[in-house]
Amino acid sequence: MSHPPSVTYASGAIVRLIGSDLMTEPTTAALLRRLAPVSDGAHSTILDERQLALLAAVAARLVPQTERTAAIDLVGSFHRRLVEGTGVGWRYAELPAAAVMHRTGLAALNASAAAAFGSEFVELQAAQQDELLRTVQSGKTWPVAWRGIDPAMWFEELLATLVDIFYAHPLAQDDIGFAGMADAHGWPDVGLGAREVYEPEPVPGEQLGA
Amino acid sequence: MTAMHALDEMVDAVVIGTGAGGAPLLSRLAEAGLKVVALEAGRHWQPQQDFATDEEEQNKLFWMDERLSAGANPIEFGKNNSGIGVGGSTLHYTAYVPRPQPDDFKLHREFGVGADWPIGYDDLAPYYDELELFLGVSGPQSYPWGPSRPPYPLSPLPLNAAAQLMDRACAKLGIATSPAPNAALSAPYFHPAYGRRQACTNRGFCQAGCSTGAKASMDVTYIPRALARGAELRPSCFVTELPLGRSGKISGVVYVRDGQREVQRCRHVFLCAGAIETPRLLLINEIANSSKQVGKNFMAHTGLQIWGTFDEMTRPYKGIPGGLISEETHRPPDADFAGGYLLQSIGVMPLTYAGQVARGRGLWGDALLRHMRNYNQVAGINILGDCLPHEDNELLLSDECDGRGLPKPLVRFTAQDNELRMTAHADRLMRQIWGAAGAEDVWAYQRFAHTIGTARMGDDPGTSVVDADGRAHDVANLTICDNSVFPSALAANPALTIMALALRTADRFLARAAQGDA
Ligand SMILES: Cc1cc2nc3c(=O)[nH]c(=O)nc-3n(C[C@H](O)[C@H](O)[C@H](O)COP(=O)(O)OP(=O)(O)OC[C@H]3O[C@@H](n4cnc5c(N)ncnc54)[C@H](O)[C@@H]3O)c2cc1C
Ligand code: SF4
Repeated sequence: MSHPPSVTYASGAIVRLIGSDLMTEPTTAALLRRLAPVSDGAHSTILDERQLALLAAVAARLVPQTERTAAIDLVGSFHRRLVEGTGVGWRYAELPAAAVMHRTGLAALNASAAAAFGSEFVELQAAQQDELLRTVQSGKTWPVAWRGIDPAMWFEELLATLVDIFYAHPLAQDDIGFAGMADAHGWPDVGLGAREVYEPEPVPGEQLGA
Repeated sequence: MTAMHALDEMVDAVVIGTGAGGAPLLSRLAEAGLKVVALEAGRHWQPQQDFATDEEEQNKLFWMDERLSAGANPIEFGKNNSGIGVGGSTLHYTAYVPRPQPDDFKLHREFGVGADWPIGYDDLAPYYDELELFLGVSGPQSYPWGPSRPPYPLSPLPLNAAAQLMDRACAKLGIATSPAPNAALSAPYFHPAYGRRQACTNRGFCQAGCSTGAKASMDVTYIPRALARGAELRPSCFVTELPLGRSGKISGVVYVRDGQREVQRCRHVFLCAGAIETPRLLLINEIANSSKQVGKNFMAHTGLQIWGTFDEMTRPYKGIPGGLISEETHRPPDADFAGGYLLQSIGVMPLTYAGQVARGRGLWGDALLRHMRNYNQVAGINILGDCLPHEDNELLLSDECDGRGLPKPLVRFTAQDNELRMTAHADRLMRQIWGAAGAEDVWAYQRFAHTIGTARMGDDPGTSVVDADGRAHDVANLTICDNSVFPSALAANPALTIMALALRTADRFLARAAQGDA
């Protein structure tokens, strides 16, 4: 199966739409809230400093941020969801509730790092971290304490949550050229290739290769 | 004007839930002059002010109380499945409204598997006609499949990129297609029951709520009509108990509003809380279950999606998501399974797509970012196929309680042989179609959609929960009307049929009441 080359978009097109008359008020308000810094769940004890640092290192491999998306606070939002108990309306019956699951999963990941490479996850080379994450994703693992949690299921939950936080953010939506939030006038033409002037186009020649 | 009834006033009926089942029924009863109160767990939104074109903001439309998913194909609830608020799941349905075909109702007679309905297509046909006019369905003048039927009242919505790609590829392969019926307005529409609704602006965000009123969700159609005819609507009221009086009838409906417990006295209860909350309430209250069928036969449509990336720009957030349909696969000649499926082109919102890429494809790191940067060139097709009832697929109460102190529902779902064969058939065909359309990087997302079954209708009180009119076999003044009463899944999206059943259920109730037998 051939893979199409990956395109890129010039930065800022979407963010410029916010607050313009191309966007309705409720949409503008929602996006401005999203752009505001994540208030930290200061009183929470769900993840401690060490676990948060570990989560940051994992997040950097799963959803790598560029200069353009650096302001998206993946770890802060992730933690806030845990603190506020924001779920998605369901969970695998086999897994415990989110807080327990992620604490256990992160601890087991660190223990796996020690078993495989003799050091903590945060101290590993990127390639070693990726190898470890791939192993967990495939459901295989080292003999460490997963406390009955299926490593692959935990990995899926962790990844899905980080991805949900990331692509909900206007800066990540800018990165993929999404302009659907320009909702004030609708889309007169919706067929293949149809484009309004305010819908971003890929930067010519800037293809990343697959 | 909307009425206000006192709690100790004996009202004629309480309707629990205001989705596809509850709202049309509420309206019909109110039109007949009954004193009716609707209790709805969620809020009454004002779409124009409250709805953003933003997926995360619109999570408020989904039922987020945690459900536990088990089995080999655990069902994703929340976003993928059910809604809360006045209008229920129609607030976020895609408004795709094909009719089932007559043979869908009698799978057992045709194939010797599954279950037959105690009613048939002909019982519902007049209601389908009525609904398509009332809702303002956009679709073709002449629909190529199924029995003859009146033309759709509005011309089809414009085909978006995914629909054009599917159309193009199917033409090459000799597969007939048609613009799909969608309950969204291709032109402004006036109905005396609810006034004027605007045309669809092609925002493509139907699954996150329609801010323009173009989509025929219940909150802009049957609810305003019910209120105009005197129904009382109580949003933010969560029903918890259905206590039986000495007569064996439900004496009143207990619910929680603002943390306070209230009881509404009533003569009749219509339970329309959807195929998860309806059986959950019945099991919690231990009623209507002498057949032991409450929670059994949970079904979910086969919903395999095939995605591909194209050279051309698709910008898949635009246009009604399900623009094109084919029912050529309703009874495929080379099928090695019972029943059939329909084919549908699909647009997609970015967060939904990213989530599927993460869960379904497991992409992360640079591979994820690269794939997502091609979001504007992505398009999909999927199926909506039958699912047979099976004893292993069921809803139970778990030992875990939620914030309200009620047991969380646990749903076990494992796709059986028939679903797997149908899915494999569809996988081959859709890959062929997407290949012909010029797709690259084609991938499949395994999905089972809609919550169906769990309180099925039937003539035999030993094997069903309600009769053909929705009346509980065990409780004289309880009627159920939502997706839970379906004996089989049908090879069509459920909402139109649920609404048709709601109108029929109300008419049957009113006819009996007129004879003094309700
Ligand atoms: C994303 C998505 C897209 C869909 N697209 C389509 C489509 O294109 N075409 C189609 O035909 N179908 C579609 N569906 C399915 C369709 O929306 C449902 O099948 C239909 O709305 C179900 O109707 P219902 O009456 O059974 O339940 P619902 O519409 O879910 O209504 C149940 C109501 O009961 C309320 N309730 C539940 N428990 C309580 C309680 N204890 N107290 C008070 N109130 C309570 C709920 O808040 C809700 O409002 C889609 C569903 C989803 C999730
Ligand atoms: S595409 Fe049309 S019907 Fe759907 S949400 Fe947008 S305006 Fe409403």
